Amino acid sequence: MQSLLLVVFLTAGWTSTVRSQEAALPKKDPENAAGFKEFEKRVQAYASLHKSIASTLPALKPTDVPELITAHQLALARKIREARANARHGAIFTEEPEKAFRRAVREEFQGADGRRARTTIQQGEPLKEMHLHVNEPYPDGVPFTTVPPTLLLRFPKLPEQVTYRIVGHDLVLLDAEANLVVDRIPDIIP
Amino acid sequence: MRKRLILVLSLVTFSLLIASAEQFKFPLKDNSVRFAAIGDMGTGQAPQYEVAQRMVTARQTFPFDFVIMLGDNIYGGSTPKDFEKKFEVPYKPLLDVGVKFYASLGNHDNPNERFYKLFNMNEAKYYTFKKGNVRFFALDSNYMDAKQLAWLEKQLQDAGNKDWKICFFHHPLYSSGKTHGSSVELRSLIEPLFIKYGVDAVFSGHDHVYERMHPQKGVYYFTEGASGQLRNGDLAKTGMTEHGFDTDRTFMMVEVAGDELYFETMSRSGIIVDSGTIQRRPS
Repeated sequence: MQSLLLVVFLTAGWTSTVRSQEAALPKKDPENAAGFKEFEKRVQAYASLHKSIASTLPALKPTDVPELITAHQLALARKIREARANARHGAIFTEEPEKAFRRAVREEFQGADGRRARTTIQQGEPLKEMHLHVNEPYPDGVPFTTVPPTLLLRFPKLPEQVTYRIVGHDLVLLDAEANLVVDRIPDIIP
Repeated sequence: MRKRLILVLSLVTFSLLIASAEQFKFPLKDNSVRFAAIGDMGTGQAPQYEVAQRMVTARQTFPFDFVIMLGDNIYGGSTPKDFEKKFEVPYKPLLDVGVKFYASLGNHDNPNERFYKLFNMNEAKYYTFKKGNVRFFALDSNYMDAKQLAWLEKQLQDAGNKDWKICFFHHPLYSSGKTHGSSVELRSLIEPLFIKYGVDAVFSGHDHVYERMHPQKGVYYFTEGASGQLRNGDLAKTGMTEHGFDTDRTFMMVEVAGDELYFETMSRSGIIVDSGTIQRRPS
């Protein structure tokens, strides 16, 4: 087979092409502001709890011993679970935040990006008939469904300790380092 | 009759592939950047080991210094045994001679892989590093939030125009794989940055095939998601496809020398299934 020599030239219309490709970021609905603010307050409190618990454990630094990574994850999860033994669904996604998140999801899936967001979930190996509960670990070996990036842009930014995850039709707030479910909103994803 | 025709076609194809193996040569220039790319490899099954062994053999003639990992590094769990069986053992001969691995996260990866020293992620889910005249950007395409987008834009901007810019991450922006296909939504957010800041080439996995796209808006896209997994016959070549291969596991080797990037894609049996040269576009 022949070797190829592929040369790309910048065209005069390059700049305008670039401009036309600029991503249109989704707008945040002001109606969600109060609910998101309350959520941010609660999730920050969780992040503080995470940090204070993590500070009681030996710091996890890059290691070539996978046992240390697993041990750290399990120890952190155990301590967080103990500290939040009474945590229930809705501890962070309280009533107003939950309403705001449901509105944001509705806007995303009914809006111009809705079809793409659905495709993103379908392409990302969606988990059917799976529900996780607060203080449960994310099951080892189960793939992560891609969270549609335009949906992420509608949600409040999170502290680094937690991430949003889609599990089946639920939105899960996951402590990534502890691999632990912090809270969830059931049946939010259409 | 039909069987005979298939046999003849197979022999012709095989001859062409062998011919390509003989014709393509890496320049192996002084101070060039040499690396391999593998994706969707961490199964711990025999085909992964066979690809790894082929990489060891290929390195005798093309001495690559490091490997970029395009995600799904460790399938099916993240216990210490998984790391051993699905990474440390198959790539031991490469690790032993100092070949470094740089990982990006796939949808089958535990994000805590970022703490695993041999993946060189330095605790970060997305990161950048430089080798010679190439700036690499490893992204987390599972979770492209506002923070990562802002980080990416700043890093691309700060990188200037002097060096090659190569991005790698799991989900392909362009793919003709029947199972997953192009990540159109992700593309709508990051492709404008690639164009604006002059990204030259992008390597992804996720679809368990090999595919090279015609340049899309000036950017070269490779999907290498068959370095362990394989979806035989999953490629539905489209007008975007420059070359594709979906009947065996593969890995890529790349040399960047000055303004040229040479690539070769090899199957686990040692057949070169694609090769070529890319000229860096003027900055």
